[in-house]
Amino acid sequence: MASFAAVKKAVTLAPTVRTLPSGLPSAPLLNLAARGSSHGHDHGHGSGPRADKPARFTGGVSTGYTGGLISKTFQGALPTTHARLIHTSVAVKDAPQVPDFTPYQAASPDRNRAVSYFMIGTMGVLTASIAKSTVTGFLETMAASADVLAMAKVEVDLANIPEGKNVIIKWRGKPVFIRHRTAGEIEEARQTDWKHLRDPQSDEERTKKPEWLVMLGVCTHLGCVPIGEAGDYGGWFCPCHGSHYDISGRARKGPAPLNLEVPAHDFNEAEGKLVIG
Amino acid sequence: MGLANGFYNALVKRNSVFVTSIFVGAFTFGVGFDIGVSTFWDKYNKGKQWKDIRDKYATEAEA
Repeated sequence: MASFAAVKKAVTLAPTVRTLPSGLPSAPLLNLAARGSSHGHDHGHGSGPRADKPARFTGGVSTGYTGGLISKTFQGALPTTHARLIHTSVAVKDAPQVPDFTPYQAASPDRNRAVSYFMIGTMGVLTASIAKSTVTGFLETMAASADVLAMAKVEVDLANIPEGKNVIIKWRGKPVFIRHRTAGEIEEARQTDWKHLRDPQSDEERTKKPEWLVMLGVCTHLGCVPIGEAGDYGGWFCPCHGSHYDISGRARKGPAPLNLEVPAHDFNEAEGKLVIG
Repeated sequence: MGLANGFYNALVKRNSVFVTSIFVGAFTFGVGFDIGVSTFWDKYNKGKQWKDIRDKYATEAEA
Protein backbone atom coordinates (compact mmCIF):
# COMPACT_ATOMS: atom_id res chain seq x y z
CA MET A 1 0.00 0.00 0.00
CA ALA A 2 2.95 2.28 0.66
CA SER A 3 4.16 2.26 -2.91
CA PHE A 4 0.59 2.94 -4.16
CA ALA A 5 0.31 6.03 -1.87
CA ALA A 6 3.54 7.46 -3.27
CA VAL A 7 2.07 8.00 -6.80
CA LYS A 8 -1.20 9.45 -5.55
CA LYS A 9 -1.32 13.10 -6.71
CA ALA A 10 -3.92 15.66 -7.47
CA VAL A 11 -4.23 16.35 -11.26
CA THR A 12 -6.15 19.17 -12.89
CA LEU A 13 -7.11 18.42 -16.54
CA ALA A 14 -7.23 21.26 -19.05
CA PRO A 15 -10.82 22.17 -20.06
CA THR A 16 -11.86 21.01 -23.56
CA VAL A 17 -14.28 23.83 -24.22
CA ARG A 18 -14.32 27.46 -23.27
CA THR A 19 -16.71 28.51 -20.63
CA LEU A 20 -18.80 31.64 -20.86
CA PRO A 21 -18.78 34.06 -17.89
CA SER A 22 -22.24 32.78 -17.07
CA GLY A 23 -20.76 29.33 -16.52
CA LEU A 24 -22.30 27.70 -19.65
CA PRO A 25 -20.03 25.92 -22.15
CA SER A 26 -19.44 27.93 -25.31
CA ALA A 27 -20.56 26.02 -28.44
CA PRO A 28 -20.59 28.64 -31.21
CA LEU A 29 -20.72 26.11 -34.13
CA LEU A 30 -23.72 24.20 -32.83
CA ASN A 31 -26.47 24.87 -35.38
CA LEU A 32 -29.79 23.77 -33.97
CA ALA A 33 -31.62 24.90 -37.16
CA ALA A 34 -29.71 22.50 -39.48
CA ARG A 35 -31.98 20.90 -42.08
CA GLY A 36 -31.69 17.27 -43.18
CA SER A 37 -33.23 15.62 -46.22
CA SER A 38 -36.94 15.03 -46.04
CA HIS A 39 -36.84 11.38 -47.10
CA GLY A 40 -33.80 10.59 -45.04
CA HIS A 41 -31.94 8.68 -47.70
CA ASP A 42 -29.03 11.00 -48.32
CA HIS A 43 -27.75 10.82 -44.76
CA GLY A 44 -28.01 14.49 -43.97
CA HIS A 45 -26.16 15.77 -47.03
CA GLY A 46 -29.17 17.13 -48.82
CA SER A 47 -31.10 20.27 -48.18
CA GLY A 48 -34.33 20.41 -46.27
CA PRO A 49 -35.26 19.46 -42.73
CA ARG A 50 -34.30 16.12 -41.17
CA ALA A 51 -37.06 13.61 -41.22
CA ASP A 52 -36.93 13.13 -37.48
CA LYS A 53 -36.87 16.85 -36.74
CA PRO A 54 -40.02 17.78 -34.91
CA ALA A 55 -42.16 20.38 -36.53
CA ARG A 56 -41.60 23.92 -35.42
CA PHE A 57 -44.97 24.22 -33.79
CA THR A 58 -44.31 21.32 -31.44
CA GLY A 59 -41.59 23.23 -29.72
CA GLY A 60 -37.79 23.07 -29.95
CA VAL A 61 -34.58 24.52 -28.72
CA SER A 62 -33.91 28.16 -29.16
CA THR A 63 -30.47 29.76 -28.90
CA GLY A 64 -31.55 33.39 -29.07
CA TYR A 65 -31.50 33.92 -25.37
CA THR A 66 -28.06 34.88 -24.02
CA GLY A 67 -28.71 33.28 -20.74
CA GLY A 68 -28.43 29.79 -22.31
CA LEU A 69 -30.29 27.22 -24.49
CA ILE A 70 -34.04 27.24 -23.98
CA SER A 71 -36.14 24.18 -24.83
CA LYS A 72 -39.88 24.58 -25.28
CA THR A 73 -42.52 21.92 -25.81
CA PHE A 74 -46.09 22.95 -26.57
CA GLN A 75 -48.59 20.78 -24.81
CA GLY A 76 -51.43 21.44 -27.22
CA ALA A 77 -50.31 20.74 -30.78
CA LEU A 78 -52.20 22.58 -33.45
CA PRO A 79 -54.80 20.45 -35.24
CA THR A 80 -54.01 19.18 -38.70
CA THR A 81 -56.14 20.81 -41.29
CA HIS A 82 -56.21 18.37 -44.27
CA ALA A 83 -59.43 16.46 -44.79
CA ARG A 84 -59.61 12.84 -43.70
CA LEU A 85 -62.22 11.27 -45.91
CA ILE A 86 -64.08 8.23 -44.71
CA HIS A 87 -65.35 5.96 -47.42
CA THR A 88 -66.28 2.28 -47.79
CA SER A 89 -65.32 1.58 -51.36
CA VAL A 90 -62.20 -0.50 -51.92
CA ALA A 91 -59.28 1.65 -52.82
CA VAL A 92 -58.09 1.28 -56.39
CA LYS A 93 -54.69 -0.35 -56.28
CA ASP A 94 -52.42 -0.62 -59.24
CA ALA A 95 -49.76 -3.31 -59.08
CA PRO A 96 -46.43 -1.60 -59.47
CA GLN A 97 -44.62 -4.62 -58.03
CA VAL A 98 -45.45 -6.88 -61.06
CA PRO A 99 -42.40 -7.03 -63.35
CA ASP A 100 -42.59 -6.19 -67.00
CA PHE A 101 -42.63 -9.48 -68.93
CA THR A 102 -42.83 -8.01 -72.40
CA PRO A 103 -39.26 -9.00 -73.36
CA TYR A 104 -40.09 -12.62 -72.54
CA GLN A 105 -43.39 -12.83 -74.35
CA ALA A 106 -43.54 -14.70 -77.65
CA ALA A 107 -43.30 -12.50 -80.67
CA SER A 108 -45.76 -14.75 -82.52
CA PRO A 109 -47.76 -17.49 -80.76
CA ASP A 110 -48.79 -18.95 -84.13
CA ARG A 111 -45.22 -19.51 -85.16
CA ASN A 112 -44.32 -21.07 -81.81
CA ARG A 113 -47.27 -23.45 -82.07
CA ALA A 114 -46.33 -24.47 -85.61
CA VAL A 115 -42.69 -25.03 -84.61
CA SER A 116 -43.73 -27.16 -81.62
CA TYR A 117 -45.99 -29.39 -83.70
CA PHE A 118 -43.38 -29.58 -86.45
CA MET A 119 -40.84 -30.89 -83.97
CA ILE A 120 -43.36 -33.40 -82.61
CA GLY A 121 -44.21 -34.54 -86.13
CA THR A 122 -40.56 -34.88 -87.12
CA MET A 123 -39.82 -37.00 -84.06
CA GLY A 124 -42.87 -39.11 -84.94
CA VAL A 125 -41.60 -39.64 -88.47
CA LEU A 126 -38.18 -40.70 -87.22
CA THR A 127 -39.63 -43.01 -84.59
CA ALA A 128 -42.03 -44.60 -87.07
CA SER A 129 -39.31 -45.26 -89.63
CA ILE A 130 -37.01 -46.72 -86.96
CA ALA A 131 -39.83 -48.98 -85.78
CA LYS A 132 -40.57 -50.00 -89.37
CA SER A 133 -36.96 -50.92 -90.15
CA THR A 134 -36.68 -52.83 -86.86
CA VAL A 135 -39.76 -54.91 -87.64
CA THR A 136 -38.61 -55.40 -91.25
CA GLY A 137 -35.23 -56.56 -90.03
CA PHE A 138 -36.80 -59.20 -87.83
CA LEU A 139 -39.16 -60.35 -90.59
CA GLU A 140 -36.30 -60.63 -93.07
CA THR A 141 -34.64 -63.22 -90.85
CA MET A 142 -37.66 -65.45 -91.47
CA ALA A 143 -37.42 -65.14 -95.26
CA ALA A 144 -36.04 -68.01 -97.27
CA SER A 145 -32.31 -67.74 -97.89
CA ALA A 146 -30.89 -67.52 -101.37
CA ASP A 147 -29.83 -71.18 -101.57
CA VAL A 148 -33.35 -72.29 -100.68
CA LEU A 149 -34.86 -69.93 -103.24
CA ALA A 150 -32.47 -71.24 -105.89
CA MET A 151 -33.78 -74.77 -105.32
CA ALA A 152 -37.40 -73.69 -105.22
CA LYS A 153 -37.88 -73.39 -108.97
CA VAL A 154 -37.44 -75.89 -111.72
CA GLU A 155 -37.35 -75.16 -115.42
CA VAL A 156 -38.38 -77.79 -117.92
CA ASP A 157 -37.82 -77.56 -121.66
CA LEU A 158 -41.15 -78.48 -123.19
CA ALA A 159 -39.75 -79.04 -126.68
CA ASN A 160 -38.22 -82.32 -125.48
CA ILE A 161 -41.56 -83.83 -124.45
CA PRO A 162 -43.43 -85.39 -127.35
CA GLU A 163 -47.20 -85.49 -127.45
CA GLY A 164 -48.77 -88.29 -125.49
CA LYS A 165 -45.75 -88.77 -123.22
CA ASN A 166 -45.22 -88.45 -119.49
CA VAL A 167 -42.17 -86.88 -117.87
CA ILE A 168 -41.34 -87.16 -114.18
CA ILE A 169 -39.03 -84.55 -112.69
CA LYS A 170 -37.98 -83.83 -109.14
CA TRP A 171 -39.09 -80.58 -107.56
CA ARG A 172 -38.57 -79.76 -103.87
CA GLY A 173 -37.91 -83.40 -103.14
CA LYS A 174 -41.11 -84.63 -104.75
CA PRO A 175 -41.89 -86.10 -108.16
CA VAL A 176 -43.82 -83.94 -110.60
CA PHE A 177 -45.74 -85.43 -113.51
CA ILE A 178 -45.81 -83.50 -116.74
CA ARG A 179 -48.01 -84.90 -119.48
CA HIS A 180 -48.22 -83.63 -123.01
CA ARG A 181 -51.80 -84.54 -123.70
CA THR A 182 -53.17 -85.36 -127.08
CA ALA A 183 -56.26 -83.67 -128.47
CA GLY A 184 -58.26 -86.81 -127.73
CA GLU A 185 -57.16 -86.85 -124.11
CA ILE A 186 -58.06 -83.19 -123.70
CA GLU A 187 -61.47 -83.90 -125.17
CA GLU A 188 -61.94 -86.82 -122.81
CA ALA A 189 -60.86 -84.82 -119.76
CA ARG A 190 -63.19 -81.97 -120.59
CA GLN A 191 -66.20 -84.11 -121.41
CA THR A 192 -66.19 -85.84 -118.02
CA ASP A 193 -69.13 -85.05 -115.78
CA TRP A 194 -66.82 -83.66 -113.09
CA LYS A 195 -69.54 -82.23 -110.87
CA HIS A 196 -70.33 -85.66 -109.44
CA LEU A 197 -66.77 -86.67 -108.73
CA ARG A 198 -65.37 -87.17 -105.23
CA ASP A 199 -63.31 -83.96 -105.50
CA PRO A 200 -65.20 -81.94 -108.12
CA GLN A 201 -62.79 -79.91 -110.24
CA SER A 202 -63.00 -79.03 -113.91
CA ASP A 203 -60.12 -79.66 -116.26
CA GLU A 204 -59.96 -75.93 -116.99
CA GLU A 205 -59.23 -75.27 -113.31
CA ARG A 206 -56.40 -77.77 -113.25
CA THR A 207 -54.51 -76.78 -116.38
CA LYS A 208 -53.20 -73.47 -117.62
CA LYS A 209 -52.77 -74.78 -121.12
CA PRO A 210 -54.95 -77.76 -122.04
CA GLU A 211 -52.12 -79.74 -123.68
CA TRP A 212 -49.89 -79.56 -120.62
CA LEU A 213 -50.95 -81.24 -117.39
CA VAL A 214 -48.64 -80.57 -114.45
CA MET A 215 -49.26 -82.40 -111.16
CA LEU A 216 -47.46 -83.47 -108.01
CA GLY A 217 -46.84 -87.21 -108.37
CA VAL A 218 -47.87 -88.03 -104.85
CA CYS A 219 -51.02 -90.09 -104.24
CA THR A 220 -53.37 -88.12 -102.03
CA HIS A 221 -54.20 -91.26 -100.09
CA LEU A 222 -50.95 -92.21 -98.35
CA GLY A 223 -48.26 -90.63 -100.50
CA CYS A 224 -47.16 -93.37 -102.89
CA VAL A 225 -46.09 -92.44 -106.42
CA PRO A 226 -48.77 -93.47 -108.92
CA ILE A 227 -47.90 -95.21 -112.18
CA GLY A 228 -48.59 -93.34 -115.38
CA GLU A 229 -50.71 -94.48 -118.33
CA ALA A 230 -52.46 -97.05 -116.21
CA GLY A 231 -55.70 -97.57 -114.37
CA ASP A 232 -59.32 -97.81 -115.37
CA TYR A 233 -59.55 -94.22 -116.59
CA GLY A 234 -56.45 -94.00 -118.78
CA GLY A 235 -54.59 -91.78 -116.36
CA TRP A 236 -52.66 -92.82 -113.27
CA PHE A 237 -52.90 -95.77 -110.96
CA CYS A 238 -51.52 -96.01 -107.46
CA PRO A 239 -50.28 -99.55 -106.81
CA CYS A 240 -50.27 -99.22 -103.03
CA HIS A 241 -54.02 -99.20 -102.40
CA GLY A 242 -55.53 -99.10 -105.86
CA SER A 243 -56.51 -95.51 -106.44
CA HIS A 244 -57.39 -94.62 -110.03
CA TYR A 245 -56.87 -91.15 -111.49
CA ASP A 246 -58.16 -89.97 -114.87
CA ILE A 247 -56.30 -88.11 -117.62
CA SER A 248 -56.78 -84.85 -115.70
CA GLY A 249 -55.38 -86.34 -112.47
CA ARG A 250 -58.72 -86.46 -110.70
CA ALA A 251 -59.44 -89.22 -108.17
CA ARG A 252 -62.04 -91.54 -109.72
CA LYS A 253 -61.80 -94.81 -107.88
CA GLY A 254 -60.15 -96.25 -104.78
CA PRO A 255 -59.33 -94.70 -101.40
CA ALA A 256 -57.79 -91.43 -102.66
CA PRO A 257 -59.87 -88.54 -101.22
CA LEU A 258 -58.54 -85.73 -103.41
CA ASN A 259 -57.29 -85.08 -106.91
CA LEU A 260 -53.57 -85.02 -107.57
CA GLU A 261 -52.26 -81.63 -106.47
CA VAL A 262 -51.38 -79.06 -109.13
CA PRO A 263 -48.32 -76.99 -108.16
CA ALA A 264 -47.95 -73.34 -109.04
CA HIS A 265 -46.44 -73.27 -112.51
CA ASP A 266 -46.00 -70.90 -115.40
CA PHE A 267 -45.11 -71.06 -119.06
CA ASN A 268 -42.25 -69.14 -120.59
CA GLU A 269 -43.58 -68.76 -124.12
CA ALA A 270 -40.49 -67.11 -125.59
CA GLU A 271 -38.13 -69.95 -124.68
CA GLY A 272 -40.72 -72.74 -124.67
CA LYS A 273 -40.10 -73.58 -121.06
CA LEU A 274 -42.22 -74.59 -118.11
CA VAL A 275 -41.35 -73.04 -114.74
CA ILE A 276 -42.57 -74.88 -111.67
CA GLY A 277 -42.56 -72.96 -108.38
CA MET B 1 -46.82 -16.24 -90.44
CA GLY B 2 -48.76 -17.61 -93.34
CA LEU B 3 -46.49 -20.64 -93.57
CA ALA B 4 -46.85 -21.49 -89.88
CA ASN B 5 -50.63 -21.20 -89.90
CA GLY B 6 -50.86 -23.05 -93.20
CA PHE B 7 -48.86 -25.95 -91.78
CA TYR B 8 -50.98 -25.99 -88.62
CA ASN B 9 -54.30 -25.86 -90.40
CA ALA B 10 -53.37 -28.35 -93.10
CA LEU B 11 -51.70 -31.08 -91.05
CA VAL B 12 -51.99 -30.63 -87.31
CA LYS B 13 -55.52 -29.49 -86.65
CA ARG B 14 -57.08 -32.94 -86.99
CA ASN B 15 -55.22 -35.68 -85.16
CA SER B 16 -56.21 -38.27 -87.75
CA VAL B 17 -54.61 -36.18 -90.47
CA PHE B 18 -51.56 -35.54 -88.28
CA VAL B 19 -50.96 -39.22 -87.52
CA THR B 20 -51.63 -40.25 -91.11
CA SER B 21 -49.18 -37.69 -92.44
CA ILE B 22 -46.60 -38.91 -89.91
CA PHE B 23 -46.91 -42.48 -91.24
CA VAL B 24 -46.87 -41.35 -94.85
CA GLY B 25 -43.87 -39.19 -94.02
CA ALA B 26 -42.13 -42.13 -92.38
CA PHE B 27 -42.68 -44.27 -95.49
CA THR B 28 -41.45 -41.52 -97.83
CA PHE B 29 -38.51 -40.81 -95.55
CA GLY B 30 -37.58 -44.49 -95.49
CA VAL B 31 -37.60 -44.73 -99.29
CA GLY B 32 -35.68 -41.49 -99.69
CA PHE B 33 -33.16 -42.47 -97.02
CA ASP B 34 -32.49 -45.81 -98.72
CA ILE B 35 -32.01 -44.14 -102.09
CA GLY B 36 -29.73 -41.52 -100.59
CA VAL B 37 -27.54 -44.02 -98.76
CA SER B 38 -27.30 -46.29 -101.82
CA THR B 39 -26.34 -43.36 -104.03
CA PHE B 40 -23.68 -42.27 -101.58
CA TRP B 41 -22.05 -45.72 -101.37
CA ASP B 42 -22.30 -46.26 -105.10
CA LYS B 43 -20.42 -42.98 -105.59
CA TYR B 44 -17.94 -43.83 -102.83
CA ASN B 45 -17.21 -47.25 -104.39
CA LYS B 46 -17.35 -46.11 -107.98
CA GLY B 47 -15.32 -48.36 -110.25
CA LYS B 48 -15.10 -51.19 -107.73
CA GLN B 49 -18.47 -52.84 -108.14
CA TRP B 50 -19.40 -55.51 -110.65
CA LYS B 51 -21.96 -53.31 -112.37
CA ASP B 52 -19.23 -50.75 -113.02
CA ILE B 53 -16.62 -53.18 -114.39
CA ARG B 54 -18.96 -55.62 -116.11
CA ASP B 55 -18.22 -54.17 -119.53
CA LYS B 56 -14.54 -55.04 -119.23
CA TYR B 57 -15.11 -58.74 -118.65
CA ALA B 58 -18.45 -59.73 -120.13
CA THR B 59 -18.36 -60.23 -123.86
CA GLU B 60 -21.07 -58.88 -126.09
CA ALA B 61 -22.75 -62.23 -126.53
CA GLU B 62 -23.08 -62.78 -122.82
CA ALA B 63 -24.22 -59.25 -122.22
